[in-house]
Amino acid sequence: MGEISRRRALAGIGLAATSAGCVGRVQNIAGREGPSQLELTIRTTPADEDPHAVRIARSLAENLDAVGVDARVDTLGGADLRRAVLLNHDFDLYVDQFAGVLPFDPDALYALVHSQFAAETGRQNPFGFTDLGVDDRLDAQRTATPAERTDVVAALQRTLCEQQPFTVVGFPDALAAVRADTFVGWETNPPLSALGLLALDRVVGAPGDGGDGKGDSETGSDGNEGSDAPDDPDGGLIDDSLDDSLKDSFDDPLEDTPIDGSDDGPITLQLATTDERITENWNPIAAEYRRHGTFTSLLYDRLAVRDGGTVIPWLARDWERTDPGVYRVTLRDARWHDGEPLTADDVAFTYAFLRDTSMGNAETAVPTPQYRGRSSVVESATAVDDATVRLTVGDAGRAAVERALQLPILPEHVWRERTGAATIAGFDLDAETTAAIVATNDDPVGSGPLRFVESTPGESVTFERNPDHFLDRLDPDANGSSAPTTDPANRIPDAYRNKPAFDRLAVEVVGSDVAAVERVANGYADGTASNLGPDAVPRIARESGTRLVSTRSAAFYYVGYNARRAPLSNPRFRGIVASLVDKSRLVDDAFAGYARAASSPLAASPAWVPEELRWDEERERDPVYPFRGDDGEVDVGAVRDALRDAGYRFAGTGELLARDP
Amino acid sequence: MTPLLSVVSRVLLRVTAMCAVAGVAVVGPRRLYAAAGNLIPYVREARTEFATLLVVLLVSAFGRDTLQTVSEVAGLRLTGTIYAMEGGFVAWIQSTFASPRLTLFFSSVYVFGYTFLLVFPFIAYAALPESTTLKRVVVAYGLNYAIGLVVYTTVLAYGPRNVMPDAVTPLLYTFEPTYQTLVAEVNENTNVFPSLHTSLSVTVALFAVRTREEYPGWTAIACPLAAAVVVATMYLGIHWLTDVVGGTLLAVGCVSLSSRFVEPDGADGEGDGNASPPGDAPSSPRHEEDPTR
Repeated sequence: MGEISRRRALAGIGLAATSAGCVGRVQNIAGREGPSQLELTIRTTPADEDPHAVRIARSLAENLDAVGVDARVDTLGGADLRRAVLLNHDFDLYVDQFAGVLPFDPDALYALVHSQFAAETGRQNPFGFTDLGVDDRLDAQRTATPAERTDVVAALQRTLCEQQPFTVVGFPDALAAVRADTFVGWETNPPLSALGLLALDRVVGAPGDGGDGKGDSETGSDGNEGSDAPDDPDGGLIDDSLDDSLKDSFDDPLEDTPIDGSDDGPITLQLATTDERITENWNPIAAEYRRHGTFTSLLYDRLAVRDGGTVIPWLARDWERTDPGVYRVTLRDARWHDGEPLTADDVAFTYAFLRDTSMGNAETAVPTPQYRGRSSVVESATAVDDATVRLTVGDAGRAAVERALQLPILPEHVWRERTGAATIAGFDLDAETTAAIVATNDDPVGSGPLRFVESTPGESVTFERNPDHFLDRLDPDANGSSAPTTDPANRIPDAYRNKPAFDRLAVEVVGSDVAAVERVANGYADGTASNLGPDAVPRIARESGTRLVSTRSAAFYYVGYNARRAPLSNPRFRGIVASLVDKSRLVDDAFAGYARAASSPLAASPAWVPEELRWDEERERDPVYPFRGDDGEVDVGAVRDALRDAGYRFAGTGELLARDP
Repeated sequence: MTPLLSVVSRVLLRVTAMCAVAGVAVVGPRRLYAAAGNLIPYVREARTEFATLLVVLLVSAFGRDTLQTVSEVAGLRLTGTIYAMEGGFVAWIQSTFASPRLTLFFSSVYVFGYTFLLVFPFIAYAALPESTTLKRVVVAYGLNYAIGLVVYTTVLAYGPRNVMPDAVTPLLYTFEPTYQTLVAEVNENTNVFPSLHTSLSVTVALFAVRTREEYPGWTAIACPLAAAVVVATMYLGIHWLTDVVGGTLLAVGCVSLSSRFVEPDGADGEGDGNASPPGDAPSSPRHEEDPTR
């Protein structure tokens, strides 16, 4: 605004000026665009959907404001945010959670920051980050020998931590409020993972128990339980003692009577979530609708799955390297949910399809908006016979190949019809979008242990056990017996044999994390399936019959920068923004202590992280870009000096100036 | 669904009790008896108004999901703008005034007080000798919902509790999470501007001021109660100050429009709309205007 009025004023002077020299000078001045205060918008999800992300965004916005940036927080609903960020690249900064609950291999960074994906839409490189050194190292770690790989990955992390395409904030614990009266075993895996749900056991003697429940399988929990919940988060606004007495008068005499486990009906695992996307869309490749892919992983089997530290054969019976760069994968006997047989042709189709969802129909390939790193490993896939597939993987090492085996296998007879261009009312929308990518995939046909039953968008979705699944056909005791362990079928761990332990899985959408905990406490749900914030966690300890389970998670929170936009294109500027993220304070406030601050995205797999990139526990600070300030207060002077050193300028009143893009 | 039923029955129980007490105290048994007699003829007279309100409510109930989708695709995303405009005003209210007793008070006001405020005018104004006020209230409610729905679709914004959860506690839901189930049934969390709690409460208060001659007791109840609802929307962290200002403007507009749409009844009170209006209203050739205009 300021510059327009100035230009108008100067235009007036220009008209009044008579001498040619003066006109020229006025033109020189008026023709320049004046600088104005830098505006940055941080996009994220609202607190109802994710209690942590908006707290991180707000804290960063306040610190940016303090140093002279006009920073704003803009909240968008789940699918809306991902559409803006991942698909349209319409953002300055955003705060989100990485989609991977279990510890991941460094190859996961390939899709995230490789410059070859900067022009694509989807989860692959949403930052538009490009760095030749990073590309080289990403390629090198795929082909390196295990010994070299550690060094390559260390060098990769050093560059990423310095360049900051995104700022890792911390690794939250996967928290869930659960009841143990029908199901146990919540601590075996992160409860938000597909294998975590499969590992659950039915309580012996629980309503409808058929007698095959394995009872107490509460094995190795590395988490803390219940009672150590931190202090009251509402800052004493709701005094607990007063609360109870007052609430008694506030509550109605009509007692809530949960409809728990009615006698002979199907055994239902009931979950409460704040994320409504699973009730609206079941497309495993729709990046904007998927979070960790927990439920779609139960609908769509993968050739292999990662169980703890090892990769175990799943839909694949086994695989072996037959020649350099060639793998032969044999499949289990399986059927799709619609009764069609699952063959090697489906697997070959899936690998071709994920690389180009148009299957050659479009002028250029239209890759999927997620799984891009993994699908890029497999150069070609060919069906040898009905149950054997040959994968050509070039120079890729074992880790990259094992990741490539963990892709959802899709039925060719369903997805082949979706390879045309996406249309609305018969009109082509855009040549780079196929029907497959925008499909809601109603009534999904997979081969997984669960199949779809019904849903009410925004409210609930129900799945049921697939009686035809191979887990059901496994001999429950094979591992305990003397059967030779060379039989690959025996490599399925006991925890998943003859599972799931429920007939139905019902997911209900609730308004907030607090409401989700309340559903569990009142007996309407067995567990929560979305993140729990500092308002919700302390409630769990207060409610009887409800426990907090906590497992470590690799799904770090991060601040993403749009490197396509100045000044976020400047790594120096990103580094200074990173030093405004007060990680240790955020761990205390936004995560109520249930998180670990970190610098490297691989911090959940510490073996990969070089010493100098580990979080400085002693001084509670980031080893690369420590928070510039003390006790939550930004050291404004120091930050401004750093910005001035990087070439930025300030108005006399303290605003950070920027040229309009 | 059972938790929802229990909340709804709780609200029904309380509000019925409040209406019964207020009915006897404010309207009086004699006039209440008259109201029962007026019921059928008034509903018949105001059938256009009631039908319109019903249509608006049905559209609001069944079209909400569709309109929400339209809003997500084409709506103006104003959360950041509103926050930048008013900053931490709501956070200031909470940090300055919040206490357990006030939280209990404002939660009750927000749920029970508000519902009572909306329901009681039907009883009180049905007991009046002519149906004009009742019709106007019905029209004003309809306008509030209709305009509110249009603005909700145009503007996509989240409330303060969703943007600054560190500074604004969602006190209502933290206090009594089951209410979130109830509120989620009737509203989306992106529908904060304008505040319909504010606009409808202020609407009722404005009518209460107009009928202070007939029901001085109701004026004395409605005005403070409406003010409390307005403060509650902010105290509980649900609405921005901007929403409250928008809601108040909406209320003033709807009340004055309702007076223009609904002409006073004739002195015969039969409501066929042919009698000449009494002197207190601007004379106009229009009778029995279609309130949807």
